[in-house]
Amino acid sequence: MRWAPADVDPVATFARAPTECLRLPAEARAALSVEVGRAAFRTPVLLGGQAARAGVACETCHKAGRSNPTFLFPGVSGAPGTADVTDSLFSTHRGDGIDNPKPIPDLSGPKAKLKIAQAPADHKLEPFIHGLVTEEFDGPEPAPAVLDGLAAYVRALSPAACPKAASQPVTVAYLLADARRAVRAAQGEMALGDAPTAVLMLASARTRLGLIDERYADPGLAALRAQLRAADHRLAEAQDAVRAHSPSIGADLAAWLAASHPLEARLAAREPASLFNPALLTQAARRRLPG
Amino acid sequence: MKTLRTVLLAAAVIGLGATTALASGGGSMGSGGAGSGGVSNMPGNSGPQYDPAAEYAKAVSAFKAKQYRDAARAAQHVTDAVPKSPDAWRLLGAAKAGDNDWKAARRAYERAVKLAPDEITGHAGLGMALANLKDPKAQDELTWLKAKAQTCADACPDAANLKAMSVMVEGAMTPAATAATPKPSASLSGPMLFGGPMAGEGAYVTAVSLINQKRYDEALASLAGAQAKFGLHPDILTYEGYAWRKKGDYARAEQFYRQALALDPAHIGAIEYYGELKVATGDLGGAKKLLARLDGLCTYGCADAEELRRWIALGHEPQ
Repeated sequence: MRWAPADVDPVATFARAPTECLRLPAEARAALSVEVGRAAFRTPVLLGGQAARAGVACETCHKAGRSNPTFLFPGVSGAPGTADVTDSLFSTHRGDGIDNPKPIPDLSGPKAKLKIAQAPADHKLEPFIHGLVTEEFDGPEPAPAVLDGLAAYVRALSPAACPKAASQPVTVAYLLADARRAVRAAQGEMALGDAPTAVLMLASARTRLGLIDERYADPGLAALRAQLRAADHRLAEAQDAVRAHSPSIGADLAAWLAASHPLEARLAAREPASLFNPALLTQAARRRLPG
Repeated sequence: MKTLRTVLLAAAVIGLGATTALASGGGSMGSGGAGSGGVSNMPGNSGPQYDPAAEYAKAVSAFKAKQYRDAARAAQHVTDAVPKSPDAWRLLGAAKAGDNDWKAARRAYERAVKLAPDEITGHAGLGMALANLKDPKAQDELTWLKAKAQTCADACPDAANLKAMSVMVEGAMTPAATAATPKPSASLSGPMLFGGPMAGEGAYVTAVSLINQKRYDEALASLAGAQAKFGLHPDILTYEGYAWRKKGDYARAEQFYRQALALDPAHIGAIEYYGELKVATGDLGGAKKLLARLDGLCTYGCADAEELRRWIALGHEPQ
């Protein structure tokens, strides 16, 4: 809610999300790469500087890999849905001193309309993404598998893969499914011996849990929030275990995945009392502080 | 005469905002110097009796309304909560001076000068208080201001302030000449500081951009503008610390981080940057304590903790 105009339709903007126009490759290793990129796309930890500290991820501007017509960041946006990526607020490298916000492109639109050629043979997409991460957003050097994954994910987005429905409800199941995908990507990267990428995947899973938590803010849901935080704590411990190359990490992640299903059931049972309920969300949006 | 003095006092307060970040800090903080500890060394978590940020804003508001006793009362709450903040002591000094309590003003400005010996508004306020008490030590403050102005010539950002404040103190020392003394320049009455509701926020956003452009002096000036609007806000103090760290003044940076954490012990940005300062000064143990604190605060993870983790792993700033 932080980066949207005050008069935005809360149901259309926050209770629903665009559907994802993603076609996963059939080959397992290629599919893992897309999953790595998909998870990296969804966590601020990929980026750095002010953007990451404000909780901005790639997905903030490109919801479900598309665009975001309601994105409005003070000092960076002009009209809603625009961003000046050469503003010094986000970047120590690329500030050009010119206020020139541009419309956020739809990454799932026709490839020909996008600024950067995506064909692997052109070798343009990876350097472009690298510049985005490390210069436009001051992020740390991404692990090679993360950079490859981001490029693979963007390439796998296509208008031809768009579902018939343009949007879908944002639910606990929707966000927990993302968290599980990220944890599975972490398992895949651990199997390949890539600890830094696995740590980032777990960071992405934690980000998703945080998005659930913020909608269970009602005091009557405190017990469920505590369960969510316990699940997050286990992922934080898993990150430490990955960093330490602990042999128990495989079992730990498998156990987390198994436990996520009953957690989802408990959360879903109280979903109507949370801000996943569009009516309650609308009420809360009306209580937004001015400015 | 009363009107003129009020104008001069207002200039002192506004100057406080305009120049605070350029020069505040710098003095010894007493315990807890660089490298002397981590979380255990921080201000307590029990929280102040008053919200210092709110009291600071209240004091500025009362001062602007010429309600000097109310301003002093609120400023006293700030100094009680954040006794190592030179900004707070300067504000208290100005409020006491507005109330014609020059003895109390002198005490407050003395504390401000002790905490921030290079800050010009503190010296100007102290000079004004001493002059009104007919204390010959006012000459010392005038000499200090003039020497500073001479060193700076017209090249430093405080050039105009230094000249105006020298004139102000000199005028207070020689009341007969006051009527002929020119009023402080318009720049001191700073519309940026008490401008529209967006003035402070705009100044803050500008400051962050300036930091990213490595224009630290300008960023500090802009942060001072934001501070005049918002008061002692931990976000602003954190960036003041960051700018000073980038300028290489680690002791002053630490003062700002500690002030930010006194206001908000759970301020994630202040903890991160304080941890980075610890790494820069070779106190990896202190940095690790701060990282542990961040990990505890950052439910669902945060980029701040990951950045500090990188610093600690490398033992220096990541390139």
